[in-house]
Amino acid sequence: MNRTRSIMQLYGKCWFSRIPTRCFLSWVSDAYHVPRVQRLYHRNIYTRHHISRHETHSMFGHMLKLRGFHGSQSVLLSKILSVEEMFSKPSLQEYLNKVEDEYDASLNSVNTMEGQSHGEEELSQKRIRVSVLRPLVQHIGDLRLKQKELEETEELLKDPDLCELAEMEREACQTVIQDLKQTILSLIIPAEESDMSDLVLEVTAGIGGQEAMLFTAEMFDMYQSFAAFQGWGFEVLEYTPSEIGGLRQGSASICGHLTYKKMKFEAGVHRVQRVPKTEKQGRMHTSTTTVAILPQPTEITFTIQSKDLRIETKRASGAGGQHVNTTDSAVRIVHIPTGVVSECQQERSQIKNKETAMKWLRAKLYSMKLEEETSKRYQTRKLQIGSKGRSEKIRTYNFSQDRVTDHRIGKTVHDVRGFILGEDLLEEMSVSLQQFSEQETLLDILGDNDS
Amino acid sequence: MVFRLKSLVRFIHSRISVTTRKVSTTCGEQGKVIPPISARFTVEQALSQWAERFQVAEVPEPQLSSQYIISHVLGHKTLNHLERRGLTQVLSHAHVERIWRLCNKRLTRMPVQYVIEEWDFRDITLKMKPPVFIPRPETEELVSLVLADLEVLAASRDMDTVRFLEVGCGSGAISLSLLHSLKQIRGVALDQSAQAVALTRENAQSLGLLDRLKVSQVDVFKDADWLVETCSPVEVLVSNPPYLFTEDLDSLEPEVRRFEDRAALDGGKQGHCVIDQILALAPRLLTEKGRVYLEVDPRHPDIIQTRLKERVLGLEYVKTHYDFTNSPPCQELPFGDYTHRPGSAPG
Repeated sequence: MNRTRSIMQLYGKCWFSRIPTRCFLSWVSDAYHVPRVQRLYHRNIYTRHHISRHETHSMFGHMLKLRGFHGSQSVLLSKILSVEEMFSKPSLQEYLNKVEDEYDASLNSVNTMEGQSHGEEELSQKRIRVSVLRPLVQHIGDLRLKQKELEETEELLKDPDLCELAEMEREACQTVIQDLKQTILSLIIPAEESDMSDLVLEVTAGIGGQEAMLFTAEMFDMYQSFAAFQGWGFEVLEYTPSEIGGLRQGSASICGHLTYKKMKFEAGVHRVQRVPKTEKQGRMHTSTTTVAILPQPTEITFTIQSKDLRIETKRASGAGGQHVNTTDSAVRIVHIPTGVVSECQQERSQIKNKETAMKWLRAKLYSMKLEEETSKRYQTRKLQIGSKGRSEKIRTYNFSQDRVTDHRIGKTVHDVRGFILGEDLLEEMSVSLQQFSEQETLLDILGDNDS
Repeated sequence: MVFRLKSLVRFIHSRISVTTRKVSTTCGEQGKVIPPISARFTVEQALSQWAERFQVAEVPEPQLSSQYIISHVLGHKTLNHLERRGLTQVLSHAHVERIWRLCNKRLTRMPVQYVIEEWDFRDITLKMKPPVFIPRPETEELVSLVLADLEVLAASRDMDTVRFLEVGCGSGAISLSLLHSLKQIRGVALDQSAQAVALTRENAQSLGLLDRLKVSQVDVFKDADWLVETCSPVEVLVSNPPYLFTEDLDSLEPEVRRFEDRAALDGGKQGHCVIDQILALAPRLLTEKGRVYLEVDPRHPDIIQTRLKERVLGLEYVKTHYDFTNSPPCQELPFGDYTHRPGSAPG
């Protein structure tokens, strides 16, 4: 019962009043069936990619967790704070002072320890720390200087002769201060290793049969248009259609500027509520699509040993080369240590299929590696929130009310058809999600939980 | 990916009974299958019907053959490229006629590549025409090998002056994919067959690469001196020479035996007749640090190495690469790789 109430609170907060009761009840019951969704999702993945249930589970969990939102907690954070508001927080000032002190201390010890033979390791660590903190400390210093300048200028305002000049000076000063504050905030937020990487998108139809597959096809199209809208490259890796034109599972490789940073919050269960084309009695259905976003590592950040791979092709009766003429260009790659299997038969050229299979394999292995690292980092938090959030619906597309609601930040956008065109409305949602996430990370770093 | 195929296969099995009941095909003269005039086919019905027919006629890769031909007629490379709803669309009469015509060719064991008159090699699509040799997937890796070495070379010198020579170009697969990947290099492609030379030229033309490729009809045995005079020196000598043993030729599957140019396959009694000639000419053709890349039979690397030791060829053996499957030794397909070192006399 406790859970029902929290769901009601959670959803009710944003648009409860506008929803007919019948419909509301239908998702409460739906929310109760979370394990079923999970089961379905896992079965699909399992049969397709030969990954154990456990691995899929953890992989998917990571996608939601990787600098994601900490469960439903973030819904309470209903407002994005302005830069000014952030700077008025005592915790931020404290943090900045702490950083300056640490920098001074490190710099001091580097200077005094220089030339001494012992403590080599400590010295190099201090050096790294100094170089990491330097930009931030420099900006803090600049900010202090500018603030002093501003105060002085404000003094001058009292002088009638210099008033006009001082006014201009003051405005210029304020702009610089604003910029500096923004830079300081972005310097505090650590860049994520995978933020700059390209990605592999996977959409899989969840509960809801043919209707779910139709919606999955629309989602796939939405991301394809979104990539075009952003000027990214979009290459279909796999497309498994259903009989009536839906999509069972599709994947694509997306590359371009900041793709992962913008797309990572799309990972999770998306829910659609509408009267499907297949429905004869006009009843509304609820179906789901699962989206996975796997960062695509670069050669430098992630390497796979070739001895760990077994690459198989379907060569007829043993002999190869000029002895036979085969058109079967399918390639299957097994990563022996993990047992992850990647197969591709998309193209007529065997080497192209091999490249595609490798691409998928790299993305999968990389995300497994990231999950391992992230799970270490979030060990304590995991204990707090348990397994909740893993198959939680992140977004609802409600056609009869013509709205899209993101449950993590409680944001609603109207014009659902416009949204799935994958243009400015999706961009707007994506920007809000990023801002929320950055703010959350920032507050997390400041140890500020009283928001 | 391959899953799509699996689901399709399942589908075909469930449909077979339906299609055979509904459509009564008449077998005309010479086993030709004529499409029933009244029947309307969806893509998947045509796919399953031809897959089954190929199976019955013991044509190898029945499902793939059916898929490749039908996708081609619909203007796609593979079924994966078909649009959504593609499988359930009803075929037009023109399409049905063309599918039946092409599939009938396949029934005679003509290779799919000749039936649809094109195939992909790495990034490029090449026109295929009987009897010019159809490039094999293993050769794609030979090109990878050459490209990897040339990229290293590119770091140290100007690529505009780099030239390669291909002996036995066939449809032009090796030369054209090298030119396609490296935009500055130039090359010469040779073949003793007039048909191959014409096809290479045609493919080069349609890929817009003819300005950097010279194609000539040359016999490496008869025109050796002319070859050395006009083509040397080159940085890279690459070839997929005929390397089959003459005695094995008659036991090959009909696709290869009946349709492909025998001269592109027959490497003499022990399969290394042309290989020997290429290696003999190599020192006169290559620059000082030039390299020879050959695709050979698994039995050849040892023979070639002994030969290089016996005779002073001025070549140094570098490495034998095997194709990426690393299957059991007898199935491996090695690529020989030899560096030219003038003056160094191997004992």
